[in-house]
Amino acid sequence: MIRSRRNEILVAYALMAPFIAIYAVLFVYPSLKMFALAFTNAPLIGPGDWVGFKNFQRLWSDRLFWTSVWNTCYFVILSVIPSTVLGLVVAIAVNRLTGWLQSLVLAAFFLPYILPVSVVYRIWSWMFDKDFGIAQTVITPFTGGEHVSVFRTLPLFMPAVAFVTIWWFVGFNALLFIAGLRNISCEIYEAAELDGAGDWTTFRRITWPLIWPITALVMTIQLILQLKIFDQVYLFANNVRTDATMVMVQYILKQAFQMNKGGLAAAASMVLFILIVGVSVLQFQLLRAKGER
Amino acid sequence: MIRKIFYAGIATAALMVGAAHATETIVWWDFLSGGDGIRMKAMLDEFNKEHEGKVKIDATTFEWGVPFYSKVQTSAAVGQGPDVMTYHESRMPLGVSTGTLSPLSTDELAASGIKSGDFGPANWKAAQGPDGKQYGVPLDIHSIILYYNKDLLKKAGLLGDDGKPKGLDGVANWDAALAKLTANGVSGISIPGDNASGWRIFYTLLNQQGGEFLKEGKFLDGANLDKATATLAEMNKWVKNGWAPAKTEYPASIALFTSGKAAMHINGVWEVPTMVDLDKKGKLFDWGAIQIPVLFDHPATWADSHSFAIPNRAGNPVDPAKRKLVLDAIHWFNVHSLEWAGGGHVPAYLPVQESAEFKALKPNSDYVSLAKTAVFDPVSTLAGVASPVYDAAGNFVVPAMSGEIPPADAAKQMRDDLQGQTK
Repeated sequence: MIRSRRNEILVAYALMAPFIAIYAVLFVYPSLKMFALAFTNAPLIGPGDWVGFKNFQRLWSDRLFWTSVWNTCYFVILSVIPSTVLGLVVAIAVNRLTGWLQSLVLAAFFLPYILPVSVVYRIWSWMFDKDFGIAQTVITPFTGGEHVSVFRTLPLFMPAVAFVTIWWFVGFNALLFIAGLRNISCEIYEAAELDGAGDWTTFRRITWPLIWPITALVMTIQLILQLKIFDQVYLFANNVRTDATMVMVQYILKQAFQMNKGGLAAAASMVLFILIVGVSVLQFQLLRAKGER
Repeated sequence: MIRKIFYAGIATAALMVGAAHATETIVWWDFLSGGDGIRMKAMLDEFNKEHEGKVKIDATTFEWGVPFYSKVQTSAAVGQGPDVMTYHESRMPLGVSTGTLSPLSTDELAASGIKSGDFGPANWKAAQGPDGKQYGVPLDIHSIILYYNKDLLKKAGLLGDDGKPKGLDGVANWDAALAKLTANGVSGISIPGDNASGWRIFYTLLNQQGGEFLKEGKFLDGANLDKATATLAEMNKWVKNGWAPAKTEYPASIALFTSGKAAMHINGVWEVPTMVDLDKKGKLFDWGAIQIPVLFDHPATWADSHSFAIPNRAGNPVDPAKRKLVLDAIHWFNVHSLEWAGGGHVPAYLPVQESAEFKALKPNSDYVSLAKTAVFDPVSTLAGVASPVYDAAGNFVVPAMSGEIPPADAAKQMRDDLQGQTK
């Protein structure tokens, strides 16, 4: 008995070995190297000298770094909850449809998600173009005929990028929610109907609690994804007012590849890494606790 | 039967190996897209055809700016990368400081027929490092020019008998001209709202006042700050008075001009093919292009150079025989740079720049005078294409022009930002 158990453990390790090896070589080792790099004054390529916490002190006193932290958090606030809520709304609406119409509507919402970010950028920068954009016909009635350069007006920048991001991701979120909704047994709904529960009560008492695990999942995925925001902000800023719109990944890119400061970039990466781990663990715990109540 | 095929296969393979030995391949990286890319591809085809069986250039094009320069730097550091690459002269100080570029000795340059005397002195010197060594060979001088709509200028009485604009020199005249041209839904001028365009115009006007952007390690020091403020105030005036649309995207600014909604347009010489092509299709009005007018004290125009360089591949240097082939190829492209001039550029190679054929080339010959008073980017690891200076232009020059930041504040903030990055 003992021998066969030992055998099983050996087999388990043998099966896990390839993954562990790849994970160690491609993730653990580079991550440790990066942590070490954060305490040196290394350039982008090549070794550097140990400087202790100097890079972190530098980040602490760098106004641009704090702008990037704030912009990243602001973007998360603008995008995560709206895209989750909208995903749920779309899912519930689509779920009420049947047959080919349901597939068609779902596909329509999902289609943006398969586009690469460069295409998303092109579409929306044309739509919003100040001089020739089609969206100006919607904007001008509110501004008294004045054309607005949406991505070149600072207070509008982050909300506009968040809007485009929500448009881009809502289909994916809706898909996850639909999978969750289909998992809820229709017997529960039938029982509720027999008891005379209305639409709102059904949603409050049945759908909402039962879909909660999916909501927590979607929000966590979105949170991690949006904390790493870079592509859209970089593309839409188009090299203008980059200091005012900078996000954390962009700050890391600037320090590493433009300023040739590998050590400082590694320190900033470490801060982002800790931020993502901290916030997502916290959020998932909070959401789970709420779900179990 | 099978045996026959087998032997035939071996024979073919042997032949192919033999052929591969006879043809040397030069691996080439560039950042030339759009019209420049098409033109360079045609020149590469011509080169390969002419050298068939001997040398073949295997060219790859990457994304202009930070992506290209990051790729070049990282690949050179690990001993990978091309045998030759295009490089902006303005970017050379940074390239030399990161050890990305391999120095070219006078002897090996001479062996391929490349001499400093065949280039303008400032142009040649801009490819040197702080150690005085040569790190590149220029191919062209490219700059910004003033495109204009002859019909609209004529209507406003601003066109001379020679078909060139008149009365644009001096701030007062320039402003009056813009005011006169702005009428009936037409703007006086359209300007791309990107950081690079902002930098080029700002640097041009700053130098027209004799201002120095960077002097002895200090950005916009002393009186230079006032000149920068005056420059930004002038640029802001164009937008404030409605003579130029604000916050115009790069492609939209061109479209405003080509659709007749802006009478003039400031952009790089590389947009000349855009106008030539539209003109050929009969979709453009009568147009012209001249050197940027002298708004301030004396003529000066921002300029940069596309040049060729050999990467310093760590541990895997380009071998001497290959270097000779590369330098031969570079010389070939300079000798043939009349074709490159079709892209609006001014050839760096003086025998071509001074040739009768180039002098007859329109519209280049209308603005070639700018080469004599061209000012290259400040020599600094913070300056050059896709550098912190370019970013600063996006953060301070462009918003100052559109009125988001007052000119004096923008100049001060730009100075402090860049000075802070020298630490």
